[in-house]
Amino acid sequence: MNGSGKVTLNASVEKAWDVLLDPLALKNCIMGCTKLESIEENKYEALLSIGIAAVKGKYESIIEIADVQKPNHYKLIVKGEGGPGSVEAVGAVDLVPVDENKTELRYTFDAGVGGKVAMVGQRMLSGVAKLIIQDFFKKFNKELAKSGQSV
Amino acid sequence: MSQLIGKKVTRIEDARLLTGQGKYIDDIGTPPNTAHVAILRSPYPHAKIVSIDYSEALEIPGVKGVVTGKDIEPLLNPFSVGVTAPVQYYPMAIDKVRYVGEPVAVVAAKNRYIAEDALEKIRVKYETLEPIVDIERSLEEGAPVLHENVGSNIANHRTFYYGEVNKAFQEADRIIKKRFEFPKYSATPVETYGIIAQYEESTKSYTVRANFHGPFVLHSIMAGALKVPSNRLRIIIPKDIGGSYGIKAGTFPYIVLCSIVSRLVGCPVKWIEDRQEHLSASSSCTDRVTYIEAAVKEDGKVIGLKMKMIDNVGAYIRAPEPACLYRTHANSTGAYDIPNLMIDAYAVMTNKLPTGLIRGYGGQELYFPLERIMQIIADELDMDPADVIRRNLIKKEQFPYKTASGGVYDSGDYEKAFELVLKLGKYEEFRKKQIEARKKGKLLGVGLACIVEPSGSNMGYITVALTPEERKAGLPKSGCAEAATISMDPLGNVNVRISTTPTGQGHETVASQIVSDILGVPREKINVIAELDTATSAWTIASGSYSSRFASLGSSAVYYAAQKVKKKLLKMAAHFLQTDEKDLTIENEKFVSKQDPSKSISMKRVVGSAHWNPLSLPEGMEPGIYETAYYTAQVEPPDDQDLINSSVTYGFVADLVTVEIDPETGEIHILDYFTVHDAGKLLNPLIVDGQILGGLVHGLGGAMYEELVYDEKGQFLTGSFMDYLCPTAPEIPKVTIKHIETPSPLTPLGAKGLGEGNSMSAPAVITNAVNDALKPYGVTIDSLPITPNKVWNMIHQSTKQEVSS
Repeated sequence: MNGSGKVTLNASVEKAWDVLLDPLALKNCIMGCTKLESIEENKYEALLSIGIAAVKGKYESIIEIADVQKPNHYKLIVKGEGGPGSVEAVGAVDLVPVDENKTELRYTFDAGVGGKVAMVGQRMLSGVAKLIIQDFFKKFNKELAKSGQSV
Repeated sequence: MSQLIGKKVTRIEDARLLTGQGKYIDDIGTPPNTAHVAILRSPYPHAKIVSIDYSEALEIPGVKGVVTGKDIEPLLNPFSVGVTAPVQYYPMAIDKVRYVGEPVAVVAAKNRYIAEDALEKIRVKYETLEPIVDIERSLEEGAPVLHENVGSNIANHRTFYYGEVNKAFQEADRIIKKRFEFPKYSATPVETYGIIAQYEESTKSYTVRANFHGPFVLHSIMAGALKVPSNRLRIIIPKDIGGSYGIKAGTFPYIVLCSIVSRLVGCPVKWIEDRQEHLSASSSCTDRVTYIEAAVKEDGKVIGLKMKMIDNVGAYIRAPEPACLYRTHANSTGAYDIPNLMIDAYAVMTNKLPTGLIRGYGGQELYFPLERIMQIIADELDMDPADVIRRNLIKKEQFPYKTASGGVYDSGDYEKAFELVLKLGKYEEFRKKQIEARKKGKLLGVGLACIVEPSGSNMGYITVALTPEERKAGLPKSGCAEAATISMDPLGNVNVRISTTPTGQGHETVASQIVSDILGVPREKINVIAELDTATSAWTIASGSYSSRFASLGSSAVYYAAQKVKKKLLKMAAHFLQTDEKDLTIENEKFVSKQDPSKSISMKRVVGSAHWNPLSLPEGMEPGIYETAYYTAQVEPPDDQDLINSSVTYGFVADLVTVEIDPETGEIHILDYFTVHDAGKLLNPLIVDGQILGGLVHGLGGAMYEELVYDEKGQFLTGSFMDYLCPTAPEIPKVTIKHIETPSPLTPLGAKGLGEGNSMSAPAVITNAVNDALKPYGVTIDSLPITPNKVWNMIHQSTKQEVSS
């Protein structure tokens, strides 16, 4: 399954970039992320609780940030395994400045699931992906606002 | 003096089944200290197992043990299978997983909840490999290979030439060819697999209760895998099995898995499969690609056939595969008189669930291309499909008919049955209606199919997978033996023990009808026990409930056992009455002299004497009444030319289906489904129609709804009844079943097997009807299941947008 989209962020490119790569902010933005720890540079170990259709469960995941072209582009590679099966996703993020306080974020992703979750969740998958992404940016704009206050 | 055979006798099983007193595997209780198991399954279609860490799982209170492939490997042999490819198949993955759902670890715990929770604590590291699921791509150079030691994905390959194939193709006016794909689908019994296994250390033996229904040749394979003498593996089948439709033959790897887990964990274990496991990891039919070529004369006569069949047996070829390729070998030319035949048969392995029996086994895969090509021949020659069928049907006077590949069709009147279905379906009238409807833009279609329904498998047919030279190395296999035991107790009541492991087909009822008629005993005095126990029952390697074998074989064993009892009773009665056995008849449970009807003795007294007063019996006669009969029909091993009569009896089915298609939505509405059957003498027409309807709905599923779908990455996508569609009551069309009876000369009662016929014919006949309806668009659909989506796309892709008659 793949998809793409764009969203407008209320921040400059540089600021958006900083928050995007802040593990704590990421943890707060990713739905069901209960743990996000750096294990080496640009590599994190995460614990994700996600429900897809009837299959709810925890995925132990490795999140890798690759192809970093600060402050405009990076790739997010997620590999997770858990009781309900496996999840693999690759996302590419591009930040394009609109003006000083506005940035357009463009993303594409390619995600696949395996095992139990694929057996019964396939029909729901694109809906769930959409939900997770929308939720991410909703929370992300809040994080941006928070970091704006703290500056 | 037949009174019950052939009558619509109600089923004796139903009282207990309808009042919740059935005794299924989950009803029979467990030995003390039984652990419940849950199975961790691979989420990957193709991967190396790097490591398995289950230390956390073991810490959960209530967990009794965790077993992995590495634990079972030293204790088991790989399952043997009837091909030469050295495939190592164990009931659990050892180093590598080869399909989604393959067992990777087993947890045994105090209850199932704990076992399931513990699965989540097991950490398996995989190194994923490139998967392959496409049948033809699996044969290509450079395709991922599942079994490195086999060297390719080919598990079996054989080529057969019968008659003068090349000459027929030279003499043909036309050669009509087409490629067909048949999908992988399931059988969906309400009751899933269930096993209770107990290892006893002191005797080093296993006792297993399982809803396994044979073929019991698999018992030898299980004992071999467990490395025990075969009498140290006792398998007991519960009285009731909640449906199977073939798929429960596939319990055997799980029987071995649960057995070895019981041994390793040190307590009895119980496993009831869940629905997701059943769909993803039990068994299924093979998906098949067929290239069919027909050598045809201008008048529609087919003089030769070539078929290249490639069966996908999934990740591991397992017994009894590649039987799907060969079960129909004798009837490869179907209902038609085609003397020249070439078959190029492949079994390939891909990253999908391993396959096995399901209702129709091989028949639907064969008849889909064969019956489609008959209609395509009619289209190409601009003939009526009914005339092409008529031109090719085997004639009544040709029976017993010897097929090109060695089959002997025992009896039949195919033309009569076919003309009857045309008449029932008002074929000519429908054709006129169709023309009128097309003028109004309505899409009506009619499909025909004629198929031969094999029943009672010859145990030798599977050895066709080997070359004649390879076969010479082993013991020849033939026959199709079945056994039954009948005893009478001191008060004259009857117990019948059968080994046909019924899964809902009413064997108890039919057995009681037969015994009642032969012994002249009312049904109320007859108790039929259908609990096969490999340690105490009379059984054979062929025993079980598959290949529609009860009517042809199981019933025959019951018949001969009853005849043995009758013979003994007559001898005793003649002795007591001082007359000749031939002088006696049985009337009202009495033996009566024909010459002097005043001379009689009650059956109760005769039977009682065998128990209470054995010294009164004729000299040399054994006390008691306890007779076992073993029966086999005369079916030979394959010969040096690979001629094989793969089944005992051959019934016939003629189908006519009419459909209307909504061009707006692509929806297919089946207007009528007419089916005429000839299964020889019918033993119980009530049961017969129930069996036929069930088989027909399974065929309807294959035609329009059911498919085990894998994506190109080998992920399995249909793991629930939300994703895997089965026809339910509202989807069942109007069905009209009619019978003709040409008794089999081979079975004592003249009966043939039935119930699988429409599973074999429905995908073909419905596709024929749909394509007939779509003719104005100049499109054909030859991929199953035919969904409204596919029909709609076809209609809208067609260049001929205008409907014209």
